[in-house]
Amino acid sequence: MFRRSERARQPGRCVAIRLDGEVVNVPDTLSVAAAVLHVHGWRGYRRHLDGTPRAPLCLMGVCQECLITIDGLPNRQGCLEPVREGMVIERQGDDPHG
Amino acid sequence: MAERRHTDIAVIGAGPAGMAAALTLSEAGLRPVVFDMNATPGGQIYRQLAAPQVDATLMGQEYIAGRSLVDAFVTADIDYRPLSRVWWLDRDGEGYVLGVLQQGHSQQWHADRLILASGAMERGWPFPGWQLPGVMYAGAAQILLKQAALLPSAAPILAGSGPLLYLLAWQYLQAGRPPALVLDMAPASRYRTLMRHPVRAWHGRSYLLKGMRLIADLRRAGVAIRQGVSGLRASGSDALERIHYRHAGTWRSLPGTLLLTHFGVVPEPQLMRSLQLRQHWQHEQQCFVPDRDATLSAGTNLWIAGDGGGIGGARNAEREGHLAGFAAIASLGRQPTKRRSATTRRLLAARRRDLAARPLLDALFRVPEGWLAEQPPETLVCRCEAVTRGELDEAIAQGGSGPNQLKAFTRCGMGPCQGRQCGESVTRLLASRTRRSPDDIGYYHIRPPVHSITLGELAADDFDNTNN
Ligand code: FES
Repeated sequence: MFRRSERARQPGRCVAIRLDGEVVNVPDTLSVAAAVLHVHGWRGYRRHLDGTPRAPLCLMGVCQECLITIDGLPNRQGCLEPVREGMVIERQGDDPHG
Repeated sequence: MAERRHTDIAVIGAGPAGMAAALTLSEAGLRPVVFDMNATPGGQIYRQLAAPQVDATLMGQEYIAGRSLVDAFVTADIDYRPLSRVWWLDRDGEGYVLGVLQQGHSQQWHADRLILASGAMERGWPFPGWQLPGVMYAGAAQILLKQAALLPSAAPILAGSGPLLYLLAWQYLQAGRPPALVLDMAPASRYRTLMRHPVRAWHGRSYLLKGMRLIADLRRAGVAIRQGVSGLRASGSDALERIHYRHAGTWRSLPGTLLLTHFGVVPEPQLMRSLQLRQHWQHEQQCFVPDRDATLSAGTNLWIAGDGGGIGGARNAEREGHLAGFAAIASLGRQPTKRRSATTRRLLAARRRDLAARPLLDALFRVPEGWLAEQPPETLVCRCEAVTRGELDEAIAQGGSGPNQLKAFTRCGMGPCQGRQCGESVTRLLASRTRRSPDDIGYYHIRPPVHSITLGELAADDFDNTNN
């Protein structure tokens, strides 16, 4: 898991997202993938087509390991989408999509 | 029929090179369109610097040094388009046509001139277990730090070779979350390299001093550092549980939940490859780089600036951005002003000085060319299609002699990352097995789209209509 440092510039602004059915507040500067790593860590992020568990690797749009369902659309690149108020995010941890 | 949008000049990327190029153009009275994948300008190095989440005492001076560039960029008259992915790029007469995906909408642009500043990416470097959740790039960890001051909840282990490794360790130390262990995999011969190249060492003295200072701070704080590590494995069932490393000829292991790796950065190849620009293997940097002339031109009305043209770091990228901007202005037939000529000379001199230090850094942080050939056969090379080193070797044994053949035989490189993470590994493996040079072997043919795009996104705007 990744927690916010006490040394972070204050005040940080937050947005409320719905992550796997649960409403959570996260810093508004985060990408979707970063928000998931912040709230849940890398365990359970995604299951790959070969059945193995996977999680974000690069966070800069290269590796495609961050695929996630955003507002009902599966396989979005979570590291390239900033979180928005009211966004609905579902991890693809159980069944592989695509 | 829907109109194609037109611009005199487009810049792809808003890192230091792209921002500098756009600023130079805008100072000359042009209004470039800048497409960038990220939500805010700065690229990877100056990410989030427009609204920093962490301060200089934590990140180091290099980060804050980009502030004036970012500030100038956001206030200049530039058609800046964040969250825009160029998924398709092709020649169109003397200019270029770009397919751009901006927040779910596709647009088609024609640019008379193009500056490519799409930067670098982490070098894909396969080792057993690197696909496990809990293994991430050090660059990704730094992105979390910049984006919202996020730190690992438990002390991570850092492994690899390259300046970023110690920098991240140091930043974590400043933030009160020192790593449990740093596994330095830079070649043991590096001190010999220093002795053998005193002139290079002199050129690179500021980098060397800085590196030594970081290491001294870490040691003083009690961070364990192992130098000369020559093997790495990650294991666990649903996520990382243990890290194994070879040190002084012996394998050791320890429990860990987060392993942050870094094996250097290489130019992001996709757009250059899809234009079929000529590339050559750069032996010092151990990667393919595009051919460019002295004005950074890589073709008609095309310039490549920054790390995408070869790794030179943020300061060099900024200089190259300005230089590419000047070259583009000159191509419009404008007479160079006195000031522009003087600035160009100054930039070229600074660039020469800075690049003179590069071979030293490259030598200090060389990655072992034969690495992949020595990994266990079950090591994943292509993470997307789950293709192992063993499967690739079987295909080679059956006569696969080039990257495209291996792709056809095994699906290696056919997944959503389009070979970004396995392309050079495949070239390397073929080079090891067939004793040919990487130039001889080459790289995958890359065809658009270079970013995944859905039919819905294509239909969401005028893109397909324009071809009617
Ligand atoms: S984490 Fe690599 S593309 Fe998103």
